[in-house]
Amino acid sequence: MEKTFTDSLMAKKTLIGQRVKKPDAPDKATGKTRYINDMVLPQMLIGKVLFAGRPHARIVRLDTAAAEKLPGVHAVLTGKDAAGLKFGFVRDNVALKDKVRCEHDEIAAVAAETEEIARRAIELIEVEYEDLPAVFTPEDGAKEDAPQIHENFPGNRSLRFEFKHGDLAAAEAASDIIVDNVFRPHHVTHCCMGTSCAIADFDHNGKLTIWTQTQYPYNYKMDLAPALGINPGNIRVIQPPVGGAFGSKLDVYPYEPIAALLAKKTGRPVKVIYSREEEFKASPTRQSAIIHLRTGCTRDGTLTFRTADVLMDNGAYTSWGPTIPVVMMRTVSGHYRVPVVDYKAQAIYTNNPYAGSFRGYGNVQGAWATAQQMDMLADLVDMDPLAFHLKNAQKSGEVTPQKSFLRECVFVECLETAATASDYSRKRREYAALRDQPGRYKKGIGLASSIHNAGGAKIHKSDGIGTILKVDDYARVTVITGATEIGQGIDAVITLIVAEELGVPLEYVTVVNNDSDIAPWDVGSHASRTTFIAGNGTRRAARKARAQILNAAEKMLGEPAEDLDLRDGSVVRERDGTPLIKLERLLRQMHFQAEPELVMVTDYYEPNSEPEGAKNCSDSSAAYAHAVHIAEITVDTLTGEIKVDKVTVAQDVGRVINRMGLEAQVEGGIAIGLGYALSEDMRIEKGMLKNACFRDYKLITAPEMPPLELHFIESDCVEGPYGAKGISELPTIVIAPAIANALYNATGVRIFQPPMSPEKVARAIHEERMRAVAAEKIVRTEDTAA
Amino acid sequence: MSVETEIRFKLNGREVGLKVPATMKTLAMLRDKLGLTGTKYACGEGECGACTVRIDGKTVNSCLMYAVDCDGREVVTIEGLRTPEGLHPMQQAFVEHGAVQCGFCMPGMIMQAQYLVENNPDLTREEAQRGLEGNLCRCTGYTKVLDAVQAVAGRNECRSR
Amino acid sequence: MQELSAYLVPHRLDEALQAMADDEATVFCGGTDLSPQTESGARQYKATLLNIRRIEGLGGIDAQGDEIRIGATTTVSEIRRSAVLAEVAPVLVEAAEHFASEQIRNAASVGGNLCNASPAGDMSPPLLVLGASVELACWRNDAVHTRRVPLERFFLGPGKTVRLPQELLTAVVFERPAAGFVGRFRKAGPRPALEISTVSVALGARFADGRLRDVRVAMGSVAPTPLRARHVEAALEGQPLNAATLAAAVEAAAEDAKPIDDVRASAWYRGHLVRVFVEEVLNDVRRD
Repeated sequence: MEKTFTDSLMAKKTLIGQRVKKPDAPDKATGKTRYINDMVLPQMLIGKVLFAGRPHARIVRLDTAAAEKLPGVHAVLTGKDAAGLKFGFVRDNVALKDKVRCEHDEIAAVAAETEEIARRAIELIEVEYEDLPAVFTPEDGAKEDAPQIHENFPGNRSLRFEFKHGDLAAAEAASDIIVDNVFRPHHVTHCCMGTSCAIADFDHNGKLTIWTQTQYPYNYKMDLAPALGINPGNIRVIQPPVGGAFGSKLDVYPYEPIAALLAKKTGRPVKVIYSREEEFKASPTRQSAIIHLRTGCTRDGTLTFRTADVLMDNGAYTSWGPTIPVVMMRTVSGHYRVPVVDYKAQAIYTNNPYAGSFRGYGNVQGAWATAQQMDMLADLVDMDPLAFHLKNAQKSGEVTPQKSFLRECVFVECLETAATASDYSRKRREYAALRDQPGRYKKGIGLASSIHNAGGAKIHKSDGIGTILKVDDYARVTVITGATEIGQGIDAVITLIVAEELGVPLEYVTVVNNDSDIAPWDVGSHASRTTFIAGNGTRRAARKARAQILNAAEKMLGEPAEDLDLRDGSVVRERDGTPLIKLERLLRQMHFQAEPELVMVTDYYEPNSEPEGAKNCSDSSAAYAHAVHIAEITVDTLTGEIKVDKVTVAQDVGRVINRMGLEAQVEGGIAIGLGYALSEDMRIEKGMLKNACFRDYKLITAPEMPPLELHFIESDCVEGPYGAKGISELPTIVIAPAIANALYNATGVRIFQPPMSPEKVARAIHEERMRAVAAEKIVRTEDTAA
Repeated sequence: MSVETEIRFKLNGREVGLKVPATMKTLAMLRDKLGLTGTKYACGEGECGACTVRIDGKTVNSCLMYAVDCDGREVVTIEGLRTPEGLHPMQQAFVEHGAVQCGFCMPGMIMQAQYLVENNPDLTREEAQRGLEGNLCRCTGYTKVLDAVQAVAGRNECRSR
Repeated sequence: MQELSAYLVPHRLDEALQAMADDEATVFCGGTDLSPQTESGARQYKATLLNIRRIEGLGGIDAQGDEIRIGATTTVSEIRRSAVLAEVAPVLVEAAEHFASEQIRNAASVGGNLCNASPAGDMSPPLLVLGASVELACWRNDAVHTRRVPLERFFLGPGKTVRLPQELLTAVVFERPAAGFVGRFRKAGPRPALEISTVSVALGARFADGRLRDVRVAMGSVAPTPLRARHVEAALEGQPLNAATLAAAVEAAAEDAKPIDDVRASAWYRGHLVRVFVEEVLNDVRRD
């Protein structure tokens, strides 16, 4: 055996729970990273789209002759070039339209040598429309005599969902208290800083390469193919660094097949990129809904039932938006212990912009309602409000009516931690007592929670991921993962896990993840699944590599593999850290020995969950998690401004893997939720977006971000990588109802449709005061009359 | 099309000369004519700060600034922040504090953060918040951005020379 | 079509004015209004693009004498950081503090802000209560001619002023406020920064013996132009600053403010905020 090459023993260190830098951060911080928006390819043309600018119309005349003649224009396409190429969930969409169904319908597209020429060509296209009567609300869309938006969807009826469990009549009869309200979660949009962009190029074998911001490369191929009439196998999807996604890139949107159609026509690469105004108007929104929710309980605080009757504005086409009931019903049936559930949801086509997927998907809308009704009930039952929450909070081992199995559940711990840390109960009482006292500024504290998938979501047949891992002769590791990095930090998690398992420095790890010709299968970054699924896939692959390496070490060193470990780039003796051989030396020896070995492993991981299925009654995630937010606010009762003073968060994270990345995702998720709660609002009037700019669509800015106190509760999820659960949607989901509940605590005013903007709050307080004054006057009149 | 003018200015410490259309904005000049894609287009209207550059030491939204007005002046972009040794301390702080997620807003954010600290070495967190109000970020919630800025201000590494 | 035929960047005022003499010039300084307006097509370029930022003598704050003079190309940042303005006209510095973002403040000129004549223009209400006038210059009969227009007569409507196309706004001036002058500025919006103000209120007056005299009250975003609130002024002039006067002033605000519904706020809310702010600024003066 050779002499040890260093005197120092190598102690076992772990990276799990440490703060690990994001590998691409230095390039991003120096402006070196080339985002898709920055990409320029040789011979590339710029594509621009002509949008209809009206909600519902027939196209009477479309003349592109002048545009085609403009020097520098290489192609002009219209609806006839996309005829019959239907795509989308229900095949109701085409890349270029022959009829206008919403403001941002794509009527024509141009490919030209510069953006300026493309813009001018768009202006030269002559279109004559015959405006048709339009519908702007689902109620109107559902009427007998409503104008028909799609021929194949009579009555403008789009998707429908239903779930029932238990005897509702009995549960209603057994209820002492029932709260019954209509909540109206509204339209907001993703506002990714990098606007929508796609670059398409065909090779001379007819294979399409599309550079796209997609969050789901594989099913994306499948969804894009029909829009082009080509075989999905002939599509190569490359996802360069993107400026945000948040769910907006989980479907195919027309600008993408448009780029491909233009590329096909011109024989050149074509880049389509939206301006910010186009982004506001043409990007998918978050699904809005009208939720008629009823929750019942007994006087002693036991929940008896929940019913939800949900009407959704489908918009003009069906994307992910109207599928949110799949998750929303899990909130209705699984948020706290609810024995009886009756859920129905119907989407109706309108001539409004349509919704896609957005972080929190269905649960943002669901918890907005359920968490507020829990707060209402807390005031009506014969017990302490916090005790009411604790009483109905599930514990480990419980199963919800939809068969979500809460294997490791720390809902109670989350409630207790957040409530104790924020002194919730005392403040809630104190502020409620001060409500009717004079004073311009009122303090309020509000508690909200929710439950969400934390182990993937088997909404497709597969929820799995492929991983390929190789270790080279220099101990450098390449992980080729199906996972999609969208800024959320999966690159850091994968790097951390590999470094942990193989004992190599973090810098030795390269993650390759963005080319469908290279990377294996994954269903995409959504449903908070990526750390869980890709983490497991990476861990499994790394362990296979580790086993291969240690077996080779055993043969070479004569010490049993189980007595060996990998630390700091070396093979060491497990028990005392004695270094035995440098890893890269071992690898080179493996490579050049008589029976050569390269370390190249593959893994396919499918989580232990059941498909969602049409009955929506299955254990469709491998894990579930809870989060509790306690928001403390100060309300200016005159201007209506809400200042969030502090948010205390207690979230079940299973296990902290990359602490810094975890915090970052929670903080960012809360910011998106805060915008939803306080300031973001798409003003859509007669199908037209009126505030398509940052000046009038208000994102949360730095001064508005409150201090956050984060408590990560580790429930040690058996199925999760190192015990970790998925985390990044809950922060967006829970904050808005927490603030709504705080607002009620402070002022006695409850708002059912976000945002809780200063104007809305001021008006609601004002009206409440007028009501109180009028009531007092009536009492007075009665007094004097008597 | 519009009339073209020759301009000469200092860009990230080096003299540069080129012709630009009079109506072109500094952002387009940097990205399309000079290949400096670090500075980003995210709104084009001066509302988001992703296009922030330094001109004669002051930060401005380059999407609003006419390129012709760069003539004779000093322009610094995110690419000019690096030192010969590597990352600028502000860039390094952003990396170390986990302030970078998708990163699209980061060049503008870092340029503005650097400007704030240089002008006020005793920058408080609240002042940093106000000073960054013109830089939108959708990923981070600004928390770690402010941590990074506070760390740099605390170390007083960015005093104006 | 935006077909420019010339770009000029003069260093002398007379050169600039000559270029403007036949109304074929589009003027810019920081570009913070011109850029978005031309990009969106809301405004078209004329034949000449005229950069006035480098004209000698057009920038700077001169507060030596009885008259304070702020050059047209002075940026909002320079106003915000001006020690002398902080001393003589803090109400103007307060407005500059709340103006958009630092990046915009560093580029936006006070002259540009006034000529843009937005009903929400943040520099206008404080300048109105300071009794400011604008100085307009033009080239006529081979010479530079200037005239002054009181700011309250400058605005005609959204985007419209009495400035003739050949005229350049060269400065805004106001008399050094007398001893005992109090000024206040209050504005709000759904977001502290970068909003076009939902409503703003400014007060300027002499405060002595518990009474306000020479009262000026100005409001932004409640009418087609920034306006002097004459009814509020009348309710305050010479009156003791007590609860009854405050109530009368707040009532009077409804006579002056005629807000509209738009995508940023409803008429109700604007009217409501005006009353809140009028009461606030008056209470603030009372407290001091």
